[in-house]
Amino acid sequence: MNALAITAHTQTSAAGTGNAAGAAALREGRSGLRRCDLPDVDLETFIGRVDGLEDHPLGGELAAFDCRNNRLAELALQQDGFLDAVAGAVRRHGADRVAVLLGTSTSGIAATEAAYRRRDPDTGALPPDYDYRHTQNMYSLADYVATRLGLNGPAMVVSTACSSSAKVFADAWRHLRAGVCDAAIVGGVDSLCGMTLYGFNALQLVAPEPCTPLDRQRRGISIGEAAGFFLLEREEDAPADAPRLTGHGESSDAHHMSAPHPEGAGAARAMREALQRAGCAGTDVDYVLMHATATPANDRSEARALADVLGPQARCAGTKGLTGHTLGAAGAVGAAQALASLAGDFVPGTAGLTDPDPELDLDARATSEARPVRRVMLNAFGFGGNNCSLLLEAPC
Amino acid sequence: MLNPVGIHAVGLIGPGLTDFPSAREILAGREEHLYAPVQIPPTSLLPANERRRTTQTIRLALHAAEEASEGGDRTSMRSVFASSSGDMDIIDRICETLTQPDPAVSPMQFHNSVHNAPAGNWSIATRNPAPATALSGFTGTVAAGLLEAVTLQLAEGGEVLLVCYDVPSMELFREVRPVHEHFAFGLRLGPVAGAPWRLRLEPRPQAVETRCRADALEALRDTNPAARCLPLLERLAGAHAQEVVLEAPAGRSLAVHVEESAEDTP
Repeated sequence: MNALAITAHTQTSAAGTGNAAGAAALREGRSGLRRCDLPDVDLETFIGRVDGLEDHPLGGELAAFDCRNNRLAELALQQDGFLDAVAGAVRRHGADRVAVLLGTSTSGIAATEAAYRRRDPDTGALPPDYDYRHTQNMYSLADYVATRLGLNGPAMVVSTACSSSAKVFADAWRHLRAGVCDAAIVGGVDSLCGMTLYGFNALQLVAPEPCTPLDRQRRGISIGEAAGFFLLEREEDAPADAPRLTGHGESSDAHHMSAPHPEGAGAARAMREALQRAGCAGTDVDYVLMHATATPANDRSEARALADVLGPQARCAGTKGLTGHTLGAAGAVGAAQALASLAGDFVPGTAGLTDPDPELDLDARATSEARPVRRVMLNAFGFGGNNCSLLLEAPC
Repeated sequence: MLNPVGIHAVGLIGPGLTDFPSAREILAGREEHLYAPVQIPPTSLLPANERRRTTQTIRLALHAAEEASEGGDRTSMRSVFASSSGDMDIIDRICETLTQPDPAVSPMQFHNSVHNAPAGNWSIATRNPAPATALSGFTGTVAAGLLEAVTLQLAEGGEVLLVCYDVPSMELFREVRPVHEHFAFGLRLGPVAGAPWRLRLEPRPQAVETRCRADALEALRDTNPAARCLPLLERLAGAHAQEVVLEAPAGRSLAVHVEESAEDTP
């Protein structure tokens, strides 16, 4: 078993709710970033905020799960016929044969931040309605999705910062290979919270203006929130027109907790492994959907990895100018964008790019280019030097 | 049932349990377990200045990692760090900071707040470029970690270090997250050849969990999600029949079969 078929997927971010809106924003370079208007956050920065989450609390039997992260998960699950696709997978394989493997970096931490602000002024106690298990605990996201979809195959949350929702694709491949499931829901959700906004601000990694990936003037990230879900199955169980995951590579920088390896050595290792698994060369990749967070150091490190693996002037794109850096959901957002470009035959532009940094030696363009796309390499790198590359391909 | 993998070494730290060799008699039921709060010895893996930049959570996980990786090639093994909650001390401090006007979050606390902080520190300390992951399965975290580590070993070969750990809750969280003790354990998994134990996993519908044989250990099992491994460790020490059933995420169970290797009895 080499490739996995992607038999359904959906994405929701500031760039759009559902695949059609996300794909249109990607093709047209329409940014969803706005000046930070999150309550309780007073920072001079831009954010990728999904509208309407405040007005749609989770209710009924799932009310205990109510928090921004799980609301965003629910909004995304309702798009693109994803619920029906999962129901189909359950009919084909059984509810205990569908795994739920999801990534997030901060889960429902916003619920805990809010609970700290609402502590009893006399006793200091947390408010009685605060539910740690179903909101902030790292597993809450997979718990919510598995409960919501009635699935009880293997379930877990992977939390390796900004590579989380890319690594779960590799986990699904291994779970299917070992035979512990016949299908897997993968992807991830991360939502805006004080912790990441003030935390990245403290590290001086946040741009005061909308982020400008790969640009000579880039000054840091814009933080966003997003959700993306994918149904993965063995190729023989899937229709022939399903796109495929043909390779994955993972590595550690073993260098620094919050700074990338200066030469991109770990990133290059992950990219090479993905190519090797897919049995293809760098020249077979139509473009690289880069992690491209828009910090000076991150983009430089990743560009050096691309030069190492693919040579100078690699065709590439960075999309965080559309959605913001969605952290633990970045891999899922990237995968959905890669599928949009495969289906629509275009190489996305790099939103926010006006003056490509010559030092990076990349072929990144401001606007999208219509041309056949068969194979996309997707990068997602996180704190702790945690790297993941995926290869996504059009149907055979 | 999944194909077998080898257990090559074990690491352990918990109340009254200072390491696996010294805890073996307790786990085998030949010695009484005496409660003593956990003292985490300083790791020799990190230089002093790096050590100061770590947290108690990271030091707890690295301690179990260090013991379980003894005798293996630390520069090349893959690693899986499994924890229900991650670094609760940092979460407490950052959430407290965020209640202040114009909050000043500590940059070091923030980068150590990620769930993969122990995994990142481990790869840095051992100069190991192999993939590392970090996961959670709430009270099924031990089972989720085992499934992840075993599927990794079966798919990729080589050695895989599994570390499960959780730290106690801060005072404010004592009721909403009743975790009262430090606990961590590690397994160095690899090929069956040369391993003292063979491990086979079998995911199952929800079944009754295996309890610890010793009452004192059974009392400990509920005090920390990582301590759910105790029946398995009792099995490795020679107590119990072959099968141990652990709670797994999503209302499932994981049956764990252990056999002593014929050629290399521990």
